[in-house]
Amino acid sequence: MKRDLMDILACPVCKGSLELEVTEENENEIIAGALKCAKCSEIYPINDSIPNLLPPELRDKA
Amino acid sequence: MARTGPFEIHYREYENWFEKNIFAYRSELSAIESFVPADKRGIEIGIGSGRFAAPMCIETGIDPSFRMLETAKIRGLEVIAAVAESLPFIDSCFDFALMVTTICFLDDTETALKEAYRILKPSGSLIIGFVDKNSPLGRLYQQHKKESVFYSVATFYSVEEVVSMLEKSGFQDFNFAQTIFRDLTEISDIEPVKAGYGEGSFVVVEAR
Repeated sequence: MKRDLMDILACPVCKGSLELEVTEENENEIIAGALKCAKCSEIYPINDSIPNLLPPELRDKA
Repeated sequence: MARTGPFEIHYREYENWFEKNIFAYRSELSAIESFVPADKRGIEIGIGSGRFAAPMCIETGIDPSFRMLETAKIRGLEVIAAVAESLPFIDSCFDFALMVTTICFLDDTETALKEAYRILKPSGSLIIGFVDKNSPLGRLYQQHKKESVFYSVATFYSVEEVVSMLEKSGFQDFNFAQTIFRDLTEISDIEPVKAGYGEGSFVVVEAR
């Protein structure tokens, strides 16, 4: 995902703002990392450049 | 539970539909395009492999199927794994949202439409493309529902049902376009696009 996506992303559950943690990034985009909700503390992973913002109960089944 | 199963397993069959029905696909594209505003920030909800977002230059999309998202990403789109019922966006951030053949796969259509309303700017529009339950193609799909890996998990709606759900979600103004006037097997050119609904099997609703 590109960094500027952070301007519009929110927690899918409580709509709180997300904090970005990057573990891998190239010149174009973030490849791996996590998005943490500042309000409900849920953590959403970013793998293979795709942020996984499925609600936790669906994410765990996937 | 999001109905991702068939899209994960039968992704090749999904892609094949577009190759096999190229003129139906292009007819659907042109019916939708008439409502897509130029140079505005849009999102496709249920982006699938990006067959609609990519040619319409819609840069961002969500879908719960990773298999679909990986293909959309190859098409150069910015993709997010998410469901329509719990959109991961702040309020009022998009000028338009597009849903193509997506409402039939939602778990909770009214919640999804309310979410779409929430993420749209006050002047924004939701564009929904779907196969009308009461059209020739809609009836055919329902008759052969069990034989299709995709439509066996689908819920079909009439235009009136979609409008009623949209009204309950806050939308007030509606415009319609329709295409696909013949049987899919008889289509050998791009079908015309007409205003309104009731004749064509594929209907586009623009809601504000």
